[in-house]
Amino acid sequence: MSENGHEHEHGHPHAEPKHETSPWAARIRAVEELLAEKGILTHEEVEAQIEYMEARSYENGARLVARAWTDPGFKELLLRDTKAACSQLGIDASGTVEFVTVENTPATHNLIVCTLCSCYPRAILGRPPDWYKSPAYRSRAVVEPRAVMREFGLEIPEDTSVSVHDSSADVRYLVLPMRPPGTEGMTEDELADLVTRDCLVGTAVPREPARV
Amino acid sequence: MTGIHDMGGRREEFGPVDKSQHELEDWERLADAVNYVLNAKGHKTTDEMRRAIESLREYREMSYYERWAAAAEALVVEKGLLTQEEIDERAAALERRWESG
Repeated sequence: MSENGHEHEHGHPHAEPKHETSPWAARIRAVEELLAEKGILTHEEVEAQIEYMEARSYENGARLVARAWTDPGFKELLLRDTKAACSQLGIDASGTVEFVTVENTPATHNLIVCTLCSCYPRAILGRPPDWYKSPAYRSRAVVEPRAVMREFGLEIPEDTSVSVHDSSADVRYLVLPMRPPGTEGMTEDELADLVTRDCLVGTAVPREPARV
Repeated sequence: MTGIHDMGGRREEFGPVDKSQHELEDWERLADAVNYVLNAKGHKTTDEMRRAIESLREYREMSYYERWAAAAEALVVEKGLLTQEEIDERAAALERRWESG
């Protein structure tokens, strides 16, 4: 992470940050410094974790989707055992958290929320967007999902049922969207480019490629 | 009784979803990482962290990573890893240094 690569005279890359707009900024830094001084953790471990999380991106999810669209065996694995599917693509989803992939079909559209907090398949997709953590999204998604999705520009047909999945600390969901028409003959990389982060949460669906 | 964190269907929170995204500040990345490292090293668990977040008196007034920072601080004190006094002292010293810097 380049913006955190600056080192200071005492070798603590986080001692003089750019923005400290919260009273909690000094408090968490105090906690980290003291924990390091007592040997409970090291600055290196903290830096490595920051870099690990910065490297997570929804693009991992887009790769899973594109592979599932082109390889029925992989799709079956993704729906049955998401961790094993990640591992096949070299995506580190190890850890105790369970991941469940839910498949959009013409009959059912899936939407993911965490009403209690912000649970999200972070190990695969990185940090959730701010709106995913907002009280408005968390409160409304389970009551009026169609209205919420409409705010994202997504209109789900009336005869398609909407299934809302409430994530927890132990089980995190991601959506396998439907492959859009007009994508026959596209490569896996081209297909992955159609899959945005919101497609993996269910507030969007992959767009059809532009026609010339 | 429904906890403050339990937002599902809570009518008073209904309103348009704000889709703007803020750039994470360094201290927010730090709060995130300190939590993960403490979990990974077995000093606390995700469930303890949830309990600490959900018990914050100012939950609704705090930003997302303020909750994480506050909960992490409460847990390291609760577990005897650090004392509240040394955290307060160090935080005050950091504030002074940043103001004069």
